[in-house]
Amino acid sequence: MKTTFVETAMSGARHLAAQVLPAIMIGLCAFVVFGPLVNLFMWAFAETWFFPARYPTEYGFDFWKRVFRPRAGAWTSLFASVWIALATVGLSMALAVPAGYALARLTLPARTLIMLIFLLPQAFPSLPIFVNIARMFYGLGLNGTYIGVVLVHSLPGLVYAVWIATAAFAAVDRTMEEAARNLGAGPMRTFQDITLPQAFPGLIAASIFVFLDSIDEFTGTFFVGTPDISTLPILMFNASMGGNYQIAAITALILLVPSIGFMLVIERFLKADVLSRIGR
Amino acid sequence: MSDPLAMPKPSAQLRAMLPGLLLIAPAILAIALLYVVPLVRSVVFAFVDADGGFTTAHLATALELYRRDVIFTVLVALASLCLIAVISIAIAGYLTLGATPWAVTVLRWLYRWPLFIPFIVAGQTARSFLARNGLLNSLLIDSGLMDPATAQSLLDWRGLVLTFAWKQVPFVTLLLAGAMASVDRSTVEAARNMGAGKLRCLIEILLPQVRGTLSVGLILSLVTIMSVLSVPMMLIAGNPTMMTSMMAHRVTYYGDYAVANALGLFSYLITVVAAFVYLRMTLAQQPENGR
Amino acid sequence: MKRTIVLGAALSAVFSLPLAAQTLNVVTAGDTNMVDYINDYLGPLFEEQNPGVTVRALGTGPGDGGSQAMYEKLTAQKDNDVWDVDVGVVHQRMAGQMVSEGLLQSYRDRTATDELVNAANAENALGVDVSGYVMPMFQSQIAIAYNPALVDNPPQSYSDLVEWAEANPGQFGYNGITGGMAGVGFVFGWMYAFSDMAETLINGPFDEATPASWSPALEGLKAFNQSATITPGNAGTLDALNRGEIAMGPVWMDMFYTWVADGRLNPELQLLIPTPGMPGQPMYYVVPDKAAQAELAVKFIELATSPEVQAEGIVRRFNWLPGIDANAVKEQLTADEWAVLFTDVTPEVLAERGMSMPQAEYFSAILEAYERQVSN
Repeated sequence: MKTTFVETAMSGARHLAAQVLPAIMIGLCAFVVFGPLVNLFMWAFAETWFFPARYPTEYGFDFWKRVFRPRAGAWTSLFASVWIALATVGLSMALAVPAGYALARLTLPARTLIMLIFLLPQAFPSLPIFVNIARMFYGLGLNGTYIGVVLVHSLPGLVYAVWIATAAFAAVDRTMEEAARNLGAGPMRTFQDITLPQAFPGLIAASIFVFLDSIDEFTGTFFVGTPDISTLPILMFNASMGGNYQIAAITALILLVPSIGFMLVIERFLKADVLSRIGR
Repeated sequence: MSDPLAMPKPSAQLRAMLPGLLLIAPAILAIALLYVVPLVRSVVFAFVDADGGFTTAHLATALELYRRDVIFTVLVALASLCLIAVISIAIAGYLTLGATPWAVTVLRWLYRWPLFIPFIVAGQTARSFLARNGLLNSLLIDSGLMDPATAQSLLDWRGLVLTFAWKQVPFVTLLLAGAMASVDRSTVEAARNMGAGKLRCLIEILLPQVRGTLSVGLILSLVTIMSVLSVPMMLIAGNPTMMTSMMAHRVTYYGDYAVANALGLFSYLITVVAAFVYLRMTLAQQPENGR
Repeated sequence: MKRTIVLGAALSAVFSLPLAAQTLNVVTAGDTNMVDYINDYLGPLFEEQNPGVTVRALGTGPGDGGSQAMYEKLTAQKDNDVWDVDVGVVHQRMAGQMVSEGLLQSYRDRTATDELVNAANAENALGVDVSGYVMPMFQSQIAIAYNPALVDNPPQSYSDLVEWAEANPGQFGYNGITGGMAGVGFVFGWMYAFSDMAETLINGPFDEATPASWSPALEGLKAFNQSATITPGNAGTLDALNRGEIAMGPVWMDMFYTWVADGRLNPELQLLIPTPGMPGQPMYYVVPDKAAQAELAVKFIELATSPEVQAEGIVRRFNWLPGIDANAVKEQLTADEWAVLFTDVTPEVLAERGMSMPQAEYFSAILEAYERQVSN
């Protein structure tokens, strides 16, 4: 009897631990992830918040009205941001799909070096680069055009696009391609019917990162796009750097909408076998 | 493909490479025109003096005034990468091996959020979250976990490391969890049957197999950390701070691209060292691919 | 039937386009309130007076970084025939540089409000002759903000401030010299107080040997920094004051009043200017050399510098100090409205302790000396 009781207690404790420990861990994670986001959310609705009050003393929608009054151009900028991000995804993928295929499948000289070249635009602080690009684009008449902005946006995202596309093509099962070729399909047909569909989830994953990179790009848009083209980060940058927390927080929340929407749509395309090959 | 013993003639070798080169040319061209050309045009200034001659004076100025900032940048980057690696491995490991299904599901939903937050927003929310009288301390004080007198500001290197980690952990975890999921489960199962703990399985079986993915995630995080301007601008007061901040300072207050670019070179140097380490690793790891 | 109407409407819209397509690009450095000022007040007013014109406002970022960004944008298109900035609003240092590099056009004599401009800094910007090229939008001044709840008896001079900071370590905060002009201005004020050469620093002539003689002043500042808190940026100082983390710190008066008006800053905070004084600077309206709509731009600036607009927009809405002749603006306001400008700092104190920034070469020399000796 006694032993059974102890055993029951033990297993109960173990069972409890098995449930409680993950709960504590999840709680901690939730705090770390959402704490700063809650902070952002509070700022978006706080009308007065200063010492010695530890939390906002007044909430309201005044700043929302300011952000969304027609002249401020929040809507136009939002649409411009989304449209530019989508076009950037298109352009980057048009460059990255052939490049990724070549890097994954074909013989290339100095393959690793080529992979690294795509990494470098991310590594150098972008300000001097964009100043020079602006100089070139003014000469070409590309300043203030969507094409110009999309071109500069596709640059930093290209490393994600190419690296992930390469991984996607490397993960495609070759035996199926060979079977198709044996059945008489041409190389283009094989690519279109066999390779591309299999690599598709990976290519979608790549476009997520390109999209996210484009949607919060500031410096390039400023030098190449403005004043004709304005995006949400352009609106937010001033507010943020100038310490106007409410305006910046609201703009940030708006900026989250397309990002999260895009992610939700595309979530199911993220496949483990592709993710495991990125960068190789 | 061809007989590995027969050395192909150079022209044949070139012909074999032609399709690949053609396919990759547009992407390379884009990088060359949109990145290499402007980069060269700007980096040249780091070595040109007022009369157009060659000089290393700008490099010397950069080193003299901003040596501490360079060291600070390296240390912050390293600390951030360590934190990112540890947390990502832990989360990805739990997602792969975790035994509590609801916890795994919730965690999978939870960890990705910061991925969508732009850096400028992350910096801004960190600035008011981590301050001495910021929301973090307020919450800790109100919940009785902290004594108001011991509250201190985290807006220094710790704030930087935390913000970078907060933003980059989801990215690395995403890659890592994907890689771990595709690892052959049978070895893990076998080890579990032999009585190995989960932690041991993670460290001794899973981790070695996803090392490549981890290093890719970390190197992408490194270049991001090196180039983000808004976070150090908003979190760090005075010196030392990240190099990007000082580059912007040099341009804003002196209109001095020469020293700014000289600083940029250091940032490249750090990336190249990391890339070199990464290359050594991948080359050592994939001899079977013959690449 | 319906379709033809739609088509006709579309066609007439296309044909009326040239009339309606006049867009005036107003690009401004500074905080969001600068963009708001154009968007909410000046832009609509100008559009009302000039049918068919659209005013488009764009911010380039706060502080001198914003002016630098505009400068980059103009130099990048230097070889083009037409530039995409019609009206610029820039800081003092950059205005001088833009004039000497030929990026701006002289327009002041083409405005009717020309003779209302009487500030010395409308002729000379940090040692560069800018006469004719600029008109001040408003005058801004750096002052020390303090929390009366934490400071009973605020120090009235730089020397007293040093003692106070020593007695209250960590309670004085400023943003160094890398985080914005409020901190830079505090350092300039320090140099005016302790270098014994304020006059030379402001008016020149520049002598390369001078910086070597600053060592005692800079050593003092280094020691002072030990008991001071360094904040991240102009906004960071206001933030820290707001959260009660510091009790005193240098801020821009215009920014301070805007924050209070927005409910973003504790309205109990007060301002003072310690002796010998702290620097201030105007924001300038400028017209780029090859502005597409130069005529319209001049007209816009004329409106912006009229006494009515200065009274309504600059003083009544923002509590900023007017850019043109104060007496002309004063006539448009009640005594009470005018007095609001001087709640904390009286006109006499402002006249006596509001100083100019150092001339351009000393400006850079002081910053570089600070980087070498104080922060290194």
